[in-house]
Amino acid sequence: MKSRLFKVLSFCAFAGALCGSPASAHAAKVRIVTTLTDLADFARAVGGEQVDVRSLATGVEDTHGVPMKPSFVPLLNRADMVIVVGLDCEHAFLPALLEASKNPRIQKGKTGYVDCSKGIIPKDVPKSTDHYQGDVHPQGNPHYVLDPVLAKTAIENIYNALVEFAPQHKAEFTRNRNAYLARLDAKIAEWRKEAGVLKGVKFVSYHEHWPYFAERFGMEYFGTIELRPGIDPTPRHIEELSRAMKDGHVRIVVREPEFPEKVPKRIAEQTGATLVTLPIMPGAVPGTETYIKMMDYIVHTMAAAAQGRE
Amino acid sequence: MKQILAIFGTAFLFCTFTASAFGEDLSERLNALEQQIRSQTKIIEELRAEIERQKKQEPQQVTQEPHHAGEEPSQADQGLKEKVDELNEKVDQVAEAQKKEILSIFNPSIGVVGETIFSYQSKGSNQTGNDRPGGWDVFQRSVELNVAASVDPFAKAYAVINASADAATGEANLTVEEAAIQTTSLPWNLELKAGRFFGEFGRLAYIHDHELPFVNRPLALAQYIGGESRTDGAQLNWLLPVEHYVSLTVGTGIQFGGDNPPNDPGTFRNPSGLNYWGRLSSYFDLTPDISLEPGLSALWNPHTKAQWVDPGGVNPPFPTDLSNNTFTERERRLVGADLMLNWKPLRNNQFQSLTWGTEVLYSDNRFDVTDPAGNITPGQSVGSIGLYSYLTYKFHRQWSAGFLYEWLENMVDKQARTSAYSPYITWALSHWNQLRLQYTHTDNNAATGLRSNDAAYLQWTWIIGAHSHGWQQR
Repeated sequence: MKSRLFKVLSFCAFAGALCGSPASAHAAKVRIVTTLTDLADFARAVGGEQVDVRSLATGVEDTHGVPMKPSFVPLLNRADMVIVVGLDCEHAFLPALLEASKNPRIQKGKTGYVDCSKGIIPKDVPKSTDHYQGDVHPQGNPHYVLDPVLAKTAIENIYNALVEFAPQHKAEFTRNRNAYLARLDAKIAEWRKEAGVLKGVKFVSYHEHWPYFAERFGMEYFGTIELRPGIDPTPRHIEELSRAMKDGHVRIVVREPEFPEKVPKRIAEQTGATLVTLPIMPGAVPGTETYIKMMDYIVHTMAAAAQGRE
Repeated sequence: MKQILAIFGTAFLFCTFTASAFGEDLSERLNALEQQIRSQTKIIEELRAEIERQKKQEPQQVTQEPHHAGEEPSQADQGLKEKVDELNEKVDQVAEAQKKEILSIFNPSIGVVGETIFSYQSKGSNQTGNDRPGGWDVFQRSVELNVAASVDPFAKAYAVINASADAATGEANLTVEEAAIQTTSLPWNLELKAGRFFGEFGRLAYIHDHELPFVNRPLALAQYIGGESRTDGAQLNWLLPVEHYVSLTVGTGIQFGGDNPPNDPGTFRNPSGLNYWGRLSSYFDLTPDISLEPGLSALWNPHTKAQWVDPGGVNPPFPTDLSNNTFTERERRLVGADLMLNWKPLRNNQFQSLTWGTEVLYSDNRFDVTDPAGNITPGQSVGSIGLYSYLTYKFHRQWSAGFLYEWLENMVDKQARTSAYSPYITWALSHWNQLRLQYTHTDNNAATGLRSNDAAYLQWTWIIGAHSHGWQQR
């Protein structure tokens, strides 16, 4: 009888240990999971020593195509907050991962769900959400982080979420944020200066990643190689695009590294435009491990292409 | 009865497409309303600013041009009054617009999946055991209506209603494939699902036909499980609170397998009249690009009373020496092991990947055999093995190709064996429009009483409306 009682108690203890709330085993740091690497960079910059940040993407993936790995589930299960780009950018992988995480604190609408698009006025909001338009984003183009001025809104949203979650560290978060924004503002001034040569320069890209960037630096976004978002180009579309590019004197073809080079290269050759490969997330190409390094790379490469430099 | 089904089928299709069209219309109306509200809010802000400006000017005007009792209001006063009236009218319009009731605002998300299969089979159904005829065939395998929404802060619910053509009559059969409620905020990483749903067993049993990586459900799943793992029951899932991904699911229900009847219908049902199943699965990142996903599953049906008479050559085929006997299943045990190895380069994962999936099932059936004279042989037991293994290579965002191999011992006669192989190629024009071409060669040994068969399939699958990238389809 005693032996059976001992077994029952042992089982209960084991089950209790397994069932123990993840929060109880919490380290002092705020556990943050971001969907993309730029948000991870911002969260580390603002959170400093008080946060433990993990990103689902490593940087080389498509922002809409991060693989749904089950190994993400335990990370999300224990997270205090999940930081997302928003505007449906992560619709292909995040909703299912959040459901599988069984973490009610980070579900959409809860304080642990930090949508960095809060305060962003989205571009290209579709008039209809029919799939004739492809894998269209019903809330508008979500690639606002590629505009460094709008990136400050994302940083502010992360700061607000951190202050709300850990108000005891507000002074540190404020200091970190101000320092990072000062660095970013200085870089923005540099980028504006360097991007002076980009004014009015026309370009195309594989996916519609660049409308915010184009507006910020005065470029003219001519079109995309994709037929529609998420739909590969047809031969007819490539032909029509190439013809229009020649007529419109489009000078740059941007290929994002997660897309194959073959078609952008052919279009560049046919039209005489310069082909450049530009990251859309920190870590996508060597030397772009942080957001500032990535924007440095983008502005330098774009300016060089506009000036006909290698 | 046929007329009723036809009416239901027509009504269903009408409702489906109307709902879809209405969804788009509603979206446009909402967008228009939002724009209208934004525009009117802007006007209000401008007019408020105007009022403030006028208010500031008013005292000056009063000072400069004091009114005397009995005098007519000045032109400026009149203009201001008109502007205030106009503003009030616009504010009222916005307020009224916001009060409008949109009865459909809480409607669930709606999507429809259609799947048509064009096929040619070299032998007739009496020789192959298939439920579709031999020769040329067109089969609308499913028109599936998916609806889903949150119930409240604690649960979500979804339903999958399927209409498919009956092989014999061509009539549309409307079935509720799934209709379940699922908790969203239970403590301790638990999730409870109840209702009609596909119970978690193996890797592909709980996936709908149109989401399979090939045209047809593997023979082992079709025969040992009874098609999709449909059940009326409840299922509890537990994500173990450890660093590594480990998921444990247990469930119980009155049936398991879409083609199997419920246990003890119409009589008193003891706990032994229920099915019990469970699944343990895990996941390992071998490298950033390569992953391994193993799983173990078990099903126990302690008191099934499925009963059938061998009409000669239907699926599952019966041993030839037991033709015209009645089989009464007494107990069914099924265990399975599955493994999925994935190579998915992070950078190009939408353009390139390689998936190897394998599942092995062991079925242990105990049943009574009643011969045509009424003599019962109780407690016959058959242990049989079935497996499938497939390799799919994605070489383009739109294109993938693969090969499926299947091997199966009949669940009531392990001497009756079937093997099949199927090369297939898939062209996904988009997420919502996909064509698949597959060739299948099936070999049946002599004990099955069936013939070998060659078949070619062209499957066209489409999705309209809402669709989600579900966890199970990852």
